Amino acid sequence: MSAASNNARPDSATLELFAQDLDQIRSNTMAKVGQKDANYIRNVIRVQRVSEIGGRVALVLGFISPVWWVVGVLLLAFAKILDNMEIGHNVMHGQYDWMNDPNINGRNFEWDHAADSDSWRRYHNHEHHTYTNIIGKDRDFGYGLLRLSDDTSWRPKNRWQILTYLNLSAMFELGVAYHEVAGERIFMGKRRKTSSLPITRKELRNAFFSKAGRQFFKDYVFFPLLCFPMFLPVLAGNFLANILRNLWTSTVIFCGHFTEEVHTFSIEDCENETQGEWYYRQILGSSNFEGRRWLHILSGHLSCQIEHHLFPDVPAYHYVEMGKQVQAVCKKYDIPYNTGSFGKQYLTVVKRVLKYSFPSKIEAASV
Amino acid sequence: MSINTNTLDIRHTIWSWIARNLTNNVSFKAYFEPLIQLFFPQWRADRFRSSVIDVRRESDDMYSLVIKPNKQWKGFRAGQYIELTVEKEGAWVSRFFSISSSPRYFNDSGLIEISIRIQENGQITPWLPQALKAGGVVNLSQAEGEFCLADSTTISGVTASTPTTKPILMIAGGSGITPFRSMLQQISLNGLAVSKPVSLMYYARSPEHFLFKEALNTYQQQVPNLTVNFIDTNELGFFSDAHLLKYCDDFAIRDIYICGPSPMIMHARKVLQNQNVNQEQIHYEFFGPEPVSLEGSGQASSVLFQQSGKQVTTNKDEPKTLLTLAEDAQLKPLSGCRIGVCHQCICQKKSGVVYNSKTKTYSDTGQEEIQLCVSVPVADVVLAL
Ligand code: FES
Repeated sequence: MSAASNNARPDSATLELFAQDLDQIRSNTMAKVGQKDANYIRNVIRVQRVSEIGGRVALVLGFISPVWWVVGVLLLAFAKILDNMEIGHNVMHGQYDWMNDPNINGRNFEWDHAADSDSWRRYHNHEHHTYTNIIGKDRDFGYGLLRLSDDTSWRPKNRWQILTYLNLSAMFELGVAYHEVAGERIFMGKRRKTSSLPITRKELRNAFFSKAGRQFFKDYVFFPLLCFPMFLPVLAGNFLANILRNLWTSTVIFCGHFTEEVHTFSIEDCENETQGEWYYRQILGSSNFEGRRWLHILSGHLSCQIEHHLFPDVPAYHYVEMGKQVQAVCKKYDIPYNTGSFGKQYLTVVKRVLKYSFPSKIEAASV
Repeated sequence: MSINTNTLDIRHTIWSWIARNLTNNVSFKAYFEPLIQLFFPQWRADRFRSSVIDVRRESDDMYSLVIKPNKQWKGFRAGQYIELTVEKEGAWVSRFFSISSSPRYFNDSGLIEISIRIQENGQITPWLPQALKAGGVVNLSQAEGEFCLADSTTISGVTASTPTTKPILMIAGGSGITPFRSMLQQISLNGLAVSKPVSLMYYARSPEHFLFKEALNTYQQQVPNLTVNFIDTNELGFFSDAHLLKYCDDFAIRDIYICGPSPMIMHARKVLQNQNVNQEQIHYEFFGPEPVSLEGSGQASSVLFQQSGKQVTTNKDEPKTLLTLAEDAQLKPLSGCRIGVCHQCICQKKSGVVYNSKTKTYSDTGQEEIQLCVSVPVADVVLAL
């Protein structure tokens, strides 16, 4: 385990008690889950539908006044953010499976996003959530593009990785879509010898193209053509809405995993891991940011990344409340709990990207 | 006709293709569902939203729902069942029930009845009557099932032209009477004299437990050739060779229909087989889930993987997860983390009770999604796998 701070891992007896406390928080919360949560998610979906439809209509009204066009872009971006974050991400984690609603179900849900949701479920729900921040196992750490800790050695291309980061942010949707395909070396690089892929490489490739293609068709062909005289403004509006969504989601996610204090782990750390050790790793591998309710909703409650990693299938709306309890438990056992204002957390992300743009002192000495 | 269905099919395919491309939903109805629900609570794109007209008590532990199905609902044949779906604390719960009234009655009144036994440990059956008391809403599926009299052509709307021609023996246990009530009501309402005898052996554990007693007696008076025997198991014991000879000695030439709790059906089939009754003559339908007792209900529970037709039994002393059991049976369900985090191993449980070792909770008896990797079977389980 490597970390910026030097807290030692508590002994296993302590972690056992710690796990019991967290389990208690989980079951207390689950006892409350019911009608209110169902109403909540249905209402969020309603708001999403209305903003999406409203946004598309407003874009066309751009011929009356450009103000409409701007409103359209913002509404559409808002709808996409809601769809991806508070709805899609959480539904696909199975948070609402208990509703037995085929349209709000972890396995069936498909989002307004270039990434095929099955692919995302495989590497995000499985890989990233099981092996959080284990270097070599969790391909989400740095996405194979960025060097964010001393666990990987420095290469010259890291020098300008702040630009890579900004690029990735703007095209985040495509990065997410390409992530598993890249990891499996479908198009480039040496083919992996061992793969845990439950589908064939061809199926993976087809799924990638068909989903990304569908999204492209919808935003850049169908709707612009439908509003033909407004072809270009609609196309540009859709493009901008997608970019806005990308920048926002990327920022939220970077604030949840790549702030200064976030720890990394090695494979040995997760061998024969107890529940307590697993919880401990999830907490050290994530970070929160604070804010008002709307900020939590817009971030799909990934503002409470710590709680999300501890309890990925608890309906996210409860995370804010649970966060207070988790923080208290962490304090009790002297376990670091990484949180701060949105601005502060984001600054430390930028700092981290910059810091590891340069070789570590030892490496620098040997160069 | 075939051209028609073809164009319909094509149109349907095109629409769902467009819906998928534009909304990422399976249909436009699904995309708009949350908005429509704002005006029609509990509206579902794939179900028929119907209103409950009355909740009628039938006995201590049994009640009937009188339902007015939605106009698009296509009707049924006597003996068929429906899936009833309601929302309980934000979750859709579904249960299968036989329709206990007849197609003819539906034609005349627009109503159907389903009769439900209250399960002591159940979460749904005791709750339903209160929830639906004052004009509730339920969702129905189209009618399904083949447990119908062989030559009954009585889809509602079409009057039976062929009256029952083969002699029939009906064997009912407890709430398994419901499909027979539907069939007999149909015969009686249509005023058809059955040309060959129909005989009903109806088992219950005490006189108070016989349902529709008056109605059955009335049918008996109205329909010549129909015999109804109420058999109190407390006094007269279970279905046996002696009963067969006593109540229906020409059973060997009859079409035999059995409906009731699973042990009773198994037992009846065995008795009939020992009497050399032809397999093809025996029709049966398992009725509802068995009452659940969590402890001491035998040492083993069985798991049926429905789609692959495989069945395994598991020893409760060394519990194994459903994922392990499936893999041991050479099935390859999708899985990932194997610790209950990733939700890739979700599978639909059709019936039965499982224990979730992660949340430390027991499931209900009905249909729901479960995680294979952390679920252990507690009572007999049927999985869609
Ligand atoms: S395999 Fe991951 S939840 Fe079951």
